[in-house]
Amino acid sequence: MFDHLKKTLITAALIGVSAGLMSATVQAADPYAPYKGTTLVVNFPAHPHYDAVMKVIPKFTEETGIKVEVDQLQYLAMRQKQTLELTKPKGDYDLLAYVVFSKADYVPANQIEPLGPFFMNPKLADPNYDPEDLVTGYMQNIGVAGGKKGYLPGPTGALYGVPFGSETSVLGYRKDIFEKHNLKVPETYDELLDLVCKIPELEPGMGGLTSRGATGHQVSHAYLLHLGPLGGRIYDDQWNPIVNNEAGVKAGEALKKILECGPEGGTSFGFAEMKNAFLQGNAAMFLDSTVVAGEVDDPEKSKIVGKVGWAMHPKGVRRGSQTGGFGIAIPSNAQNKEAAFLLLQWLTSKRVDKLIAMEGGNPSRFSTHEDADVNAKFPHMKIFAEALKHADPDWRPIIPTWGEVNKELGTTLSKAMTGEMSVKEALDQVAERAKAIQDKAGYYTWQQ
Amino acid sequence: MKPTSIMNRATPFLFLAPAGIIMIFALLYPIGYLTVASFFDWRMGTPFADAVFNGFGNYAWILNDPNFHESFMVTITFAFTVVVLEMLIGVGLALMLERPILGMSVFRTIFILPMMIAPIVVGLVWRYMYNPQFGIFNKTLKKWGFEPIPWLSSPDWALPSVIIADIWQWTPFIFILSLAALQSLPRSSLEAARIDGASEWQQIIYIKIPLMMPVLVVAALLRMIDAFKVLEVIFIMTNGGPGLSTEIMSLQIYKTAFVSWELGRAAALSNVLLAIVLVITLAMFVYTKIRDARIARAQAAAEQY
Repeated sequence: MFDHLKKTLITAALIGVSAGLMSATVQAADPYAPYKGTTLVVNFPAHPHYDAVMKVIPKFTEETGIKVEVDQLQYLAMRQKQTLELTKPKGDYDLLAYVVFSKADYVPANQIEPLGPFFMNPKLADPNYDPEDLVTGYMQNIGVAGGKKGYLPGPTGALYGVPFGSETSVLGYRKDIFEKHNLKVPETYDELLDLVCKIPELEPGMGGLTSRGATGHQVSHAYLLHLGPLGGRIYDDQWNPIVNNEAGVKAGEALKKILECGPEGGTSFGFAEMKNAFLQGNAAMFLDSTVVAGEVDDPEKSKIVGKVGWAMHPKGVRRGSQTGGFGIAIPSNAQNKEAAFLLLQWLTSKRVDKLIAMEGGNPSRFSTHEDADVNAKFPHMKIFAEALKHADPDWRPIIPTWGEVNKELGTTLSKAMTGEMSVKEALDQVAERAKAIQDKAGYYTWQQ
Repeated sequence: MKPTSIMNRATPFLFLAPAGIIMIFALLYPIGYLTVASFFDWRMGTPFADAVFNGFGNYAWILNDPNFHESFMVTITFAFTVVVLEMLIGVGLALMLERPILGMSVFRTIFILPMMIAPIVVGLVWRYMYNPQFGIFNKTLKKWGFEPIPWLSSPDWALPSVIIADIWQWTPFIFILSLAALQSLPRSSLEAARIDGASEWQQIIYIKIPLMMPVLVVAALLRMIDAFKVLEVIFIMTNGGPGLSTEIMSLQIYKTAFVSWELGRAAALSNVLLAIVLVITLAMFVYTKIRDARIARAQAAAEQY
């Protein structure tokens, strides 16, 4: 009896050991080996995150033997080049970075690959990838398509890309000014709007909050930053425009106030002017994308080195910071899809995410935001990690008609900001046009 | 007919053929494509084969679009203002600098410099000069104790600001053409006028300007066509804003194609712009033809005596 048990135990142990040995040999086998010598052609934007990535890419070639050729383009020009590439029967790009709203064009046109099959392939998928660690808001906003309203996550959604170089919004403030006048860092929109016009009184010549305000995409972006937190949306779940409801108007009035009390000329500011006004010390606060964090403490670009504190995007009726930036995906017409997936997986792995963050990139993982080394080098990372928990994937609709709606919103809102019409009038007009645009595109097919 | 005479008749066509073939590919084909595309609902990123035919839908949309009406007015205001002001300044400068002055060639080079600068650079330079915080204009105004002007951030100032930049860039074009015309004027008429005791002003108004007219009409026409199509400088300076206050039609075409991704509608808009420019050009040609005919008649009448 005991003998028998002993025997079983020994056999079990032997099996265990041999299994261990086997897995050891499997581990020793290099998953990258079949693709050694392949050259991947990759399309990346010229962007601070990707500049950091460029420093890390040679490591990939060193570790795997897969060569990478990067075509770096200005991010607005990227879209046109990609459209050309993606409609060819055989594409030149194996991996590309896409601006989040391109998802609405590439997915319906079957131009980028769903990533499910790759993550199910045992020879390609790394079991230690830990997808739970990828920032949820970014994943939903950039990576997933086909869920609720088409662009949101949900049970019917599928994964098409992985966030890489994504951004959220944070509040930057001048510690010195706030201390000098004993001001409280705003946590809510009421506090923020209160402070916005108080600062120019306390510090003559200095604007309250710097903001984009130029016609088109810029002013529309600034508006959307406030719309979500104040409880508004562009469309309801039935695609009826609700941008002109009470919350929408409130967001518009808030932006108008911000621009009026902001640095001079705000209604002509694009991202660069908005950022420079803050970096040159012409505004006490900044509320926009996290990418600016890297430049604040660069004495070549900034006059406010060491004077900036970071806080979360203030809360209105809800918390909601922007989600944006880039994701990476594999084109359907790519010629080296498996190797491209390996690169995608490598770039977004825990280890490499940290490497890129240390070079100044925007991490895609929670663990990187909390990493001690990263935080020692970039102390603001901790606040950013907190902000990310409230990143709002629905802060703007990602639908094929968005470009057109965004254009309407941007031009009409710009008129409201310069006082050509009232905010309510402008938003009523936007709602009317937005409805016509959706109607033409067939969004009301299911409405009775 | 003898073969040689056929050859003789065919020769001019033979020589014209290369130019004709190029015209067909470089002009007719694109315009034809544009016209066809303008009848379709075609989104960027999809092949043309997937586009849906929608007749005059794009044109109807454009004509009912308040943004188009505004943009149309902006374009007309911009084009006529810049052409009139550039003509006045350009011809004025030419009349002043016609006589031999010391260092004339240096002046001339300086005057035509703006024209040689790439439009993108012109846009950037002016955008920085107009910048409310660092720009030279507002800095100077503040130093002299004036209120700063919201150059590009107010809808009332944005169009004048853009017009100023365009005048700066393109007046030299009128200037050099007028100067060339002035210098090739028949000296005999001027001498005759002087002998008859015409003052400087009378010489300018009755002799020089009328004789320069053919050149001036062409110059104005070229500038007008250009002004209708201007894109880069305004794109960089204001991107059409604030609101639509500087959104000229070519910018609207650009945005329709590359922001809204509506290629069909952009094609229709381009055709509308083409039609407007064509009408203006034809009107100018008809005007010069009538004028030439009248001069010819007057000349014939004068020669009878």
